[in-house]
Amino acid sequence: MSAPTTTHGDESHAPAHVAPAHPSVGSLGVDSRKLGVWAFIGSETLFFAALIVIYLINVPVNMARADAQDPKELLGIAFTSILAAILLASSLTMVLALAASKRKDMRQFTIWHLATIGLGLCFLGGQVYEFTHLYEEGLTLSSSMLGTTFFVLTGFHGTHVAIGATWLFATWLKVRKYPDSPENLMDIELAGLYWHFVDLVWVAIFTLIYLI
Amino acid sequence: MDATQAHDHDKHSDSSHTPSFYWKVAAILAVITIVEVLITLLHIPHPILVPILLVLSVLKGAGVVMFFMHLRGDRPPYQLMFMMPFLLAVTFILLFLNLFSEHVGIAG
Repeated sequence: MSAPTTTHGDESHAPAHVAPAHPSVGSLGVDSRKLGVWAFIGSETLFFAALIVIYLINVPVNMARADAQDPKELLGIAFTSILAAILLASSLTMVLALAASKRKDMRQFTIWHLATIGLGLCFLGGQVYEFTHLYEEGLTLSSSMLGTTFFVLTGFHGTHVAIGATWLFATWLKVRKYPDSPENLMDIELAGLYWHFVDLVWVAIFTLIYLI
Repeated sequence: MDATQAHDHDKHSDSSHTPSFYWKVAAILAVITIVEVLITLLHIPHPILVPILLVLSVLKGAGVVMFFMHLRGDRPPYQLMFMMPFLLAVTFILLFLNLFSEHVGIAG
């Protein structure tokens, strides 16, 4: 377990030249765990950019092949618009959970935090339904270049949603078991950063893959 | 800057946003999403539709990053850690699309 990340008591009077009181706050004055999560999110940005560009540059390749499948015919926007709304709503509930935890309102925190997990699970259920429907329509992982690139991209995103929901649930269990831990606020914020990133990726996928 | 100042800064940058502010941001993002879906149904020519959708998408993404992830007003090392790979990713996407968007040579 890492060190506390909030300031308490006489630490507020510590002179600037003294080493940081919290091991997780480095010489730059930033929390190393938060910096690490931002670095992780930065690397994930490049990861998803690679998957998106692979999908996009293979669109004309797919259409030129004998086994071509037209994304305009197969990928509907009505259902995925609902999925986009669900993930957007989950970002709102996540930030409301963080705000409640800063106010030390544990009841509101629990409601919004669990709502975020619930919405994440709804998204995953919707994605399973969409994948099943597409398989029945003939779009599979090996049916065409479209199927391969589409399922790899959206499948990886769905995996990230599942990991995010697990992370949020683990955070909730920890905060529930140790409600007075000074680390809780940062734990919630870090899980929230990851969750918002997952929403951010869907913003890009929704526009670039489904709408354009 | 020591740990105390760091946390004071974090508290200041985060506490300026109230729950009602987040509801307003979410409402704006929802409206942008609805507009995105509606304009795809209007049969606008592709060269006009694509830039509009990209601009709307960037607005949505910026809203999430700045207000939900609190990157706006946060410390420069955090901003740098995200913006550098993000700009690199956008550059690579544009370069690869420019190089391969009409390339079907590997189609077989």
